[in-house]
Amino acid sequence: MNEKELHDAVGRLPKRIEPPRDLWPDIEARIKRTSWRRRWYWIPLAAAAVLAGVWLVRSQPASWDVTQVSGRPVVGTTPLTATGRLRVGEVLETDASSRALIAVGRIGQVEVLPGTRVQLVAARADEHRLALAHGTIDAKVDAVPRLFFVDTPVGTAIDLGCAYTLHTDSLGNGLLHVTGGQVEFQTGQRSARVPLGALTQTRASVGPGVPYVEDAPEPLIRALVAFDFANGGARATRTALAIARAQDALSLWHLLQRVDPALRGLVYDRLAALVPPPPGVRRAAAIALDSGALESYWTKIHRIHFRRMILKGVRDIDPRTGTTVR
Amino acid sequence: MAPPDDLVARAQAGDQTAFRDLYRQHAGRVYALCLRLTGDARDAEERTQDVFVRLWDKVQSFRGESAFSSWLHRLAVNVVLNERRTTGRREQRVMTMEDPGALERNRGSTTEGLSIDLERAIAALPDGAREVFVLYDIEGYGHAEIAGLVGIAEGTSKAQLFRARRLLREKLER
Repeated sequence: MNEKELHDAVGRLPKRIEPPRDLWPDIEARIKRTSWRRRWYWIPLAAAAVLAGVWLVRSQPASWDVTQVSGRPVVGTTPLTATGRLRVGEVLETDASSRALIAVGRIGQVEVLPGTRVQLVAARADEHRLALAHGTIDAKVDAVPRLFFVDTPVGTAIDLGCAYTLHTDSLGNGLLHVTGGQVEFQTGQRSARVPLGALTQTRASVGPGVPYVEDAPEPLIRALVAFDFANGGARATRTALAIARAQDALSLWHLLQRVDPALRGLVYDRLAALVPPPPGVRRAAAIALDSGALESYWTKIHRIHFRRMILKGVRDIDPRTGTTVR
Repeated sequence: MAPPDDLVARAQAGDQTAFRDLYRQHAGRVYALCLRLTGDARDAEERTQDVFVRLWDKVQSFRGESAFSSWLHRLAVNVVLNERRTTGRREQRVMTMEDPGALERNRGSTTEGLSIDLERAIAALPDGAREVFVLYDIEGYGHAEIAGLVGIAEGTSKAQLFRARRLLREKLER
């Protein structure tokens, strides 16, 4: 790469990168602690609050376009005929024979499949958020990561630029199937990264299971489900390790972070045998769940997986290295 | 959302709702700057919070001589560099993998992949070289300004920039 190419590449870097999580609650807590110093401003503050209130009342609430696809979807209590608007706080519901299409601001669309209840939570430029109470949606989003969120009863699907189908029941039992890009599903401390061509199951009060690829062997899926949701422990872990192929490295990468510390070495060794770690990743660091080591490993696993997916049917890709098989 | 000038005025009057909207408008730009200057996602989150807490205290001193975004940008640079001077941390930085999804959004786009590689390569630069590179090549500061901000000689700034570019070219050619 020469100087000009570097200069051009720098010029293409994005000016904005959204924080991976909402930092406002922490900031708000901190500024509230310091606000006592500014309490003599309460009069203009009150005036500003009144003005803001007036402004809010006069403003039209944020909303998204919604289109009837089939049947008779309902927005709030009003049946949707042809097109309408879904405002923040309003609920769109489809019965067993109806479908609707929601325009996600200017960044994508969500098809609401039959038997679904979904609420518009936020419709801002920096936060597009739906709450899926139950049912199924097909989402397609073309935007920078972390602009589109779907809350379910058990966690949140965070868009990293992608297409996916998300199903949940009213308790949070469901399935996330990603068909483009990547989605992160988060529940409290547990999260799953699901790239295109992979799925994760979710369970009430547990969250997302270990993701697996579309063509994962059935016994592997059963072992992962047993591990995540049926206290499968060491036995399920050993079964999964015995069955896993190089194509299943993304599952083992997640498993490494979820097993008991005593089993991490076993998982790491199997993962390293299937997909050798990138330079600089040491066994001890990965087993200690060092974030740098894990991220480096994920980068390699994800790139190999990505090449396999997009070149499926075009070229054979070595799942250990990501290179073309001659 | 209210016009930016109105938000600034309301924030100056102590309106936290307006201040929150200012945060929403500027968080992406500030976080990008913090992420690139620190080379570490967790540090970048902390610095972004620091910037807005500092902004809450300082917003009344904004007099409109420049665009608010430019003023905030300078404030953010100062917060990040001051924090580094205070703690003197020199930890090994590894940028978190926030953006592999960007790869898929532009399937087959070599420029997108290059941007991701470049972000990682910038994050892996030595602290001094990274700061000068980010401020000069990405943010458009001059060497004299950088020297004042970072607390180094102008010649050192030029040398660090040369070093950073060489390291990046080498890294991106591998």
